Amino acid sequence: MSPVAEDVLGEVLARARDLADRWEEEDCGVVTVKDFCRYAAALNDTAYIGRARADEAAGRPVSAPPLFLAGTFSWEDGPAEDELRPDGLTARESPCTQGLPVRQVHGGESVRIGRPLVAGTRVRAARAVRSATRKAGRSGDFVVLAVTTRFTGDGAELASVDETIIVKDNSQA
Amino acid sequence: MTTPGESCPSRSYSHSTVQLFRFSAVSWNAHRIHYDESYASFEGFPGTVVQSTLHGEMLVRHALDWAGPDARLEAVSWRNQATAVAGEPLTWRASVRSAEPGDGGLRLSLDAAIVKADGTPSVTGTVDLLL
Repeated sequence: MSPVAEDVLGEVLARARDLADRWEEEDCGVVTVKDFCRYAAALNDTAYIGRARADEAAGRPVSAPPLFLAGTFSWEDGPAEDELRPDGLTARESPCTQGLPVRQVHGGESVRIGRPLVAGTRVRAARAVRSATRKAGRSGDFVVLAVTTRFTGDGAELASVDETIIVKDNSQA
Repeated sequence: MTTPGESCPSRSYSHSTVQLFRFSAVSWNAHRIHYDESYASFEGFPGTVVQSTLHGEMLVRHALDWAGPDARLEAVSWRNQATAVAGEPLTWRASVRSAEPGDGGLRLSLDAAIVKADGTPSVTGTVDLLL
């Protein structure tokens, strides 16, 4: 491995250690039936849309698809295009790597569902880097970032998400 | 249907490039590997890459569909093993790991996987349901 690569992944590790267990709060906003239905439409789930719109018309609570919170990648309004990284990600979606020549993929996820999310709820999220571990792979070293997000609404836990992000050095590309 | 070790009927499907784009859009995911084929190629992928969270949805949706309308998701976890791309034939497979009484119903845990055409697992995980 080149010294540059060592510096890049070493810097990711150093930033992660500085951020570890520092929780950031986020207001995700008030979720709507339209948010749920568009999410379901992207999954070709027209049956969900029919049920949700019928519940809405009847004045019944409309519950979200169970992985709606976990499946939504970002709750930011988002920066303009010129502030995205070359791979399209924003700084928030790529913790500890701002300005570094890296690429990243998702390693996996563990989701625990709490109280069902219903339309009209204001959702809040708390997010923190939990750990960072350097590992050796067939194509070189990489860093595994572990990130936890807890979603709450009206004082109740809606979902808890533990995910791993694989960060690879891209300085030679 | 709820005996530990019993297999669920497998489900075959694929994701179109349009679906990957729409899922990226609705989940506010601008990562270019999911909708920009030339960028995905630059990163060494043979096509636009299926989102990890879309794999998670497929693990859960096929499990809920198999378990019936009274089933509720309690938890899911998965690990990405091999990249899948748009148009690639994929198969959902699952088997019952455990079935125990809980919360006034039946708590089912499934070992589930999304498998590529050559049998390589793209994603492996567990889905926990309450019936």
